[in-house]
Amino acid sequence: MSKIWTRMGDGSPVELTPAELRQDLEDGSADAADRGGVPGLNEDDFKYLEELFARRDRFVGVDVGNEVVLTYDGAALKFKRHCLFEERLHVLTMYEKMFGADTVELGHVDYSYKPVKPIVNYEQGTLEMGLLTTHSPLIYGAMPNLGLYTRPDGPCPNPMELLPQGKIKEARAAYEDMVEEAVRDMVFVVGSMYESGADGFNLDTVGASGDADVLAAFLALEKLRAKYPDIAVEVGMAGEFILGMHGELQYDGQRLAGLYPHQQVKLAEKAGAVIFGPVVNTNTDQTIPWNLARTVVFIRACSKAASIPVHANMGMGVGAVPVTDFPPVDVLSRASKALVELCDLDGL
Amino acid sequence: MSELFVQAKQAILATDKEKALEAAKRHLDAGGEPLEIISRGFVPGITEVGEQFGRGTLFLPELIMAAEAMMAVTDLLSAAMAAKGGSVSASPSGSILAATVKGDVHDIGKGIAIAMFKANGYAVHDLGRDVEVDEIINGAEKHGVRVIATSALLTTTMSEQKKLEETLKKAKLRDKYVTLVAGAPVTQRWATRIGADIYAENAHIGVVRVGEKL
Amino acid sequence: MGMAIAHAQASGMGGMRTAGDLVARVQLAKGCRIREAKAYVAEKLGTSVMDLVDPVVMGEVRADKGLGTMMPLAHTPKGIECKFNIARELDVKINCLGNFLGKTGLGGGE
Repeated sequence: MSKIWTRMGDGSPVELTPAELRQDLEDGSADAADRGGVPGLNEDDFKYLEELFARRDRFVGVDVGNEVVLTYDGAALKFKRHCLFEERLHVLTMYEKMFGADTVELGHVDYSYKPVKPIVNYEQGTLEMGLLTTHSPLIYGAMPNLGLYTRPDGPCPNPMELLPQGKIKEARAAYEDMVEEAVRDMVFVVGSMYESGADGFNLDTVGASGDADVLAAFLALEKLRAKYPDIAVEVGMAGEFILGMHGELQYDGQRLAGLYPHQQVKLAEKAGAVIFGPVVNTNTDQTIPWNLARTVVFIRACSKAASIPVHANMGMGVGAVPVTDFPPVDVLSRASKALVELCDLDGL
Repeated sequence: MSELFVQAKQAILATDKEKALEAAKRHLDAGGEPLEIISRGFVPGITEVGEQFGRGTLFLPELIMAAEAMMAVTDLLSAAMAAKGGSVSASPSGSILAATVKGDVHDIGKGIAIAMFKANGYAVHDLGRDVEVDEIINGAEKHGVRVIATSALLTTTMSEQKKLEETLKKAKLRDKYVTLVAGAPVTQRWATRIGADIYAENAHIGVVRVGEKL
Repeated sequence: MGMAIAHAQASGMGGMRTAGDLVARVQLAKGCRIREAKAYVAEKLGTSVMDLVDPVVMGEVRADKGLGTMMPLAHTPKGIECKFNIARELDVKINCLGNFLGKTGLGGGE
């Protein structure tokens, strides 16, 4: 029987027998179902994925009619990574006109709200110019990035230095102080950019510093919705479950640490998010079929639980996309198609 | 006796240092072998702590407290073995040097890994973040560690892990150490390419693979 | 960048080539899910839902209604001019338009 060519989570090519493929799909599904306490894949799902991986197409896409909306993270900054020094507004028009983008996103090179604070007027000017020339919804994006609030970059002691010394109470207090600082900065920057006319906002990579990072995003969002009832904010997560760096922080009476996407989305809705971006991490020791089955289980549960649009994160190392700088289109396009079609997604 | 092993495991899971020490003392008072309660009580406890952390059902402060409880009992049991005339330590052999590589200021993953290694009885020397390769090697030499563990969160800083391998080879020190690489963009493929001994997908796997290697 | 292009080809609506930007705008403005957003846009534009991802049909609709085209000819709406048309055709609020009217003295306010 012919083997099925696919890849590992780090992008390395691998060949599987049909039985091995099926086993990986079942194992990936079972792992997510067990961790998340959510339903695994059914027989129809397994057949869909088996056929998807057995196809020899280099590139696949969703069936006509199943297309979804795309939002981005740090889109305008990605040129810089390639040493392409295009002006940001020019990049937005390239995304809009050349890359088939449904939305465009402006962001500062640091891609964190804190460093934008002192230069927000310049960012406002840039945004206002962009709004004159683009056509698509223009989103402003950055990360809460609580790490920037610890010494030497910020005013708070570093919990990652306190915790190893057993100073748990002090570390938790530091996280709580960081939340206050970050909320203030996010409300200031997002509010300023909203008043300049931005169509939407991306609070991106939420949870990168653990549960305090998530709490800061939700509290900032609450304040922003209270002040600007029409504001549209997308909350994009950092990882599949919320890391309990503090461990006891709560939002709306629920402990944040340990929540999986289907639980996170309900709190994001409560805080006032208009779009939710769940993350499922790619395991590089496993195959892409294993990762994709696992991702579908988590994201489908999230999509089913959601009342707002769900745009799954699908970039390097998340959403069953391999951990490699230039993910190959064979597995990338398969993940893209499967996630949209099996999870009833609203966007990516 | 098996009741004590259960108590030892539960004490670690509950991050209760006093109860863990009590179980260890009762075991010694009853004439038990120190290594027996380690392997049948405390190690299963800390293994489950690691697994729960990986699943998001137990969090960093608890992991740190579990690590402290583990360190307290291994100190006690090591002393008991020494008193019996044995030279075997209750801790795993070898200590670890940990650093986030030069140009990278991310230390959450490293912090979690350090807590996990300490919880499993390893002595860890943390050099912090943004650490030059030369400083890492000097630190390893100074502390006499067996394992050099480096973390890189960015694709732009991973190359420092390669530089470490090359510098160790040039200094004819490569065989002296076990090198471990970790971080969000780091993969087994990268580890193999640069010649690192261990790739750790996460902190728990890092502990398991270091244990196997040592 | 490559990632963005691959996803746009595999799953995206097509942006300005089709009605991707319009459906996205409705999602953001109303917080509605993809089916409702597509149905809303199709109804407002008088097209079928399937037309929304057809660059041939949507190219014509966009040109006729002044919603912005990929290759804008002389004397056709561009940039913020199209946004006024989009706001009217889709009956959605576009945040920056109030600022524009206020700054130019054409009405409204910041």
